[in-house]
Amino acid sequence: MPTLLRYLSYQGVPIWRNVYAIQWVSQIASGILVVVLVAWFFVNIGNAIQERDIPYGFGFLSREYQTPIGQHFLDYKSSDTFLYAFVVAATNTIVISIIGVALATALGIFVGVCRMSSNWIIAKAALVYIEFFRNVPLLVQLFFWFYIVLALPPVREGYVISQRFYINNAGISVPWPAVNDAGMAVTWLLTAAVAVVLGWAVHSRLTRRERNTGTPSNSQAWGIATAASIGAVAWLALSVAGDGSPFVISQPEPQGTFGRISGGFTAPGGMIALLIGLVTYTASFIAEIVRAGVQSVGRGQTEAARAVGLSALSTLRNVTFPQALRVIVPPMISQYLNLTKNSSLAGAIGYSDLTNVAKTMTQTAPAVSIFIMIMAAYLAMSLTFSLIGNLYNRHIRFNAS
Amino acid sequence: MLTDSNTMASPVLPPPRSETGVVGRMRANLFNSRFNSAMTVLAVIVIALALWFGLGWILVDADWTVISTLGGRMIIGQYNIEAACPGQNCFWRPQAGLLLVTLVLGMAWQVAGGGVTKRIALAVAGVAAAFAFLPYAFSQMGLDVRLLLLANLPALAVGWSLARYTKLGTASWTAILSVTAFVLTLVLLRGIPGVPFLQPVSVIFWGGIMLNLMLAVAGIGLSFPIGIALALGRRSELQVLKLLCIVFIETFRGVPLITLLFMSQVLVPLAFPEDFPQNSLMRAAIVITLFSSAYMAENIRGGLQSLHPGQAEAARALGLPGWQTMLFISLPQAIRNVIPPIVGQFISLFKDTSLVYIIGMLDVVEISRAFIQGNPEFLANAKELFIFLALVFWVFTYGMSYVSRRVEQHLGVGER
Repeated sequence: MPTLLRYLSYQGVPIWRNVYAIQWVSQIASGILVVVLVAWFFVNIGNAIQERDIPYGFGFLSREYQTPIGQHFLDYKSSDTFLYAFVVAATNTIVISIIGVALATALGIFVGVCRMSSNWIIAKAALVYIEFFRNVPLLVQLFFWFYIVLALPPVREGYVISQRFYINNAGISVPWPAVNDAGMAVTWLLTAAVAVVLGWAVHSRLTRRERNTGTPSNSQAWGIATAASIGAVAWLALSVAGDGSPFVISQPEPQGTFGRISGGFTAPGGMIALLIGLVTYTASFIAEIVRAGVQSVGRGQTEAARAVGLSALSTLRNVTFPQALRVIVPPMISQYLNLTKNSSLAGAIGYSDLTNVAKTMTQTAPAVSIFIMIMAAYLAMSLTFSLIGNLYNRHIRFNAS
Repeated sequence: MLTDSNTMASPVLPPPRSETGVVGRMRANLFNSRFNSAMTVLAVIVIALALWFGLGWILVDADWTVISTLGGRMIIGQYNIEAACPGQNCFWRPQAGLLLVTLVLGMAWQVAGGGVTKRIALAVAGVAAAFAFLPYAFSQMGLDVRLLLLANLPALAVGWSLARYTKLGTASWTAILSVTAFVLTLVLLRGIPGVPFLQPVSVIFWGGIMLNLMLAVAGIGLSFPIGIALALGRRSELQVLKLLCIVFIETFRGVPLITLLFMSQVLVPLAFPEDFPQNSLMRAAIVITLFSSAYMAENIRGGLQSLHPGQAEAARALGLPGWQTMLFISLPQAIRNVIPPIVGQFISLFKDTSLVYIIGMLDVVEISRAFIQGNPEFLANAKELFIFLALVFWVFTYGMSYVSRRVEQHLGVGER
């Protein structure tokens, strides 16, 4: 026995009391346990698939989906494939997320600044807004907005503002640029992209000169002017060369006996309710983040800025905010991710987002495959948002400037 | 002499009238600049208009009968319909559950010695008892229902006395009994096959705010310890464990809860053998708990990161073993530092319980929506219903953040 113990000991410590041995054994055991559990799940799923004759695999992707999708920003018809329908649905989610993020940021910063106002009434109004909107489930808010939109008058009796904006229970129709000539439109968009890059170059060059020499230069004005003039010249040249401009403004117009609106862009009721709900809800969280960020900047910074003669607005814009951004950006990224994920509630109010379409797809396609695809899609979106956010975060950190 | 008379002649004057009192405060806060004055006037006009039209709508135009028509279904869902409980009246079972809760709250009040616990206990029992005097919907609420609601007040007193005059008046007994009360409530609601007055009620009939609260309580109670375990796992030096925790946390945080809930209905039943005991509510509760614990883990990890390493080093230097250092030194401080985000996570868990609509459970939101859809004559009153729901949720969530602020005050966060 003592010999056996000696083999199992290291420096006089038996193996079952050796910390490293315990750690390794427990790790391997837990790893095996998880692997076995996952394998058991897959075996069960496999059995269920065989026994209950459930379809599996990804072969369905090239089949026709044959189900209409309520709203779509990409062209879509029922004879398109499952894969394309999935992309269309993902685009719906992405579009809502991008618009929502932009609007929620603007509203959130506004409310956050109001919350810190020295004006008692405005500060309290912002507080009431924040406390109300972030403490009520988004779903309840979405239903509220949705039923408000539904309660709008029908199309023929809807509100019309100067024959351009139509508001009714089918949605809100607004004038929208429409492509006049595809080739010209692409050419102009490319030129415009180049113009923006050039404008940015002018701006950063002038800013650098101002920083190095002290010569005042209206860098922003010059940058915008450069971009705008190139864009305008290109527009004129294209209009003169071809027949008509690259884009025309398409006006919404009621058509036929039911007064259905065609032309322009019609944002359907579900989408409007979803946007209002997502934006007001997320803005209440962003407002608190903005407040925390601004308050994290030392009072001395603001006082010094005021002492050298900057105005209150200029202090906020040029001194407080750039410093607050370092605190604001990380939690802001997670709010953007939350907004993207919260857009999956869209199904409840009839907007065809990714989750909603995928849910319908599971009726005719294997659920396991759909689940894998939807996980991958959301994870990809999350990672992209985090990546962009983290790059920006690196840009504004202390060592970057 | 001159200096003397100077100092003598200047007694401390009170500040000018324009700087003090209501006028002074208004000048300092509302009219301290031209821009601010304009903003004040504008805000007052907007608020006055909003109040005028808002109150006018609430008192005159709005039709609140939709709420009394839905009535008890908002509280217990379809629990008491004929299909759920054939041949019996099962209304008393959720009520008995509520009585158990007030009993435990009474104990907690005595054990905690007043403060915020007392207010919660009084509020719960008081609101329950006040429901007994609701004037409308007499037809729905019989005398038996009202008496059981009133019984919450004596139940509170019984709980208080139990804690005061028996040996049960300790924190650990209260904790054990509250868990017991929750499990008993579940058993009461689910029923026991074979017992004549406790015939089983399928979980598909559970609903209303009762369902939201039970999912939230179970989720909060379980996701907290799981979250701590995941946070410790993620900070562990054991690479396999760490990797497993990271994969778990990031997967659950990357996907919307609604997608997970939906898939729990489609996929999870396949992953277990057919005779494995499970039901949709259980799966939903597990998914909500796991989802929340992934977020909880990140909050707690943040708290652990905010601790100075000296704390743990000092504890180790004093000879505490690793697990005691974690349990008695690091974790208490870490959790204290992140009370606001943790409570924020509890609040969002409670709000997220409304997502169970995706699996066909009729929680308070879904039963309202289904009611509106089934009764188009109330379509125009959907606003009123959802405003009411918003207020109900707001009361609970605001209560939670109020409690968290009081707890923080009690623990002296930011003072030490």
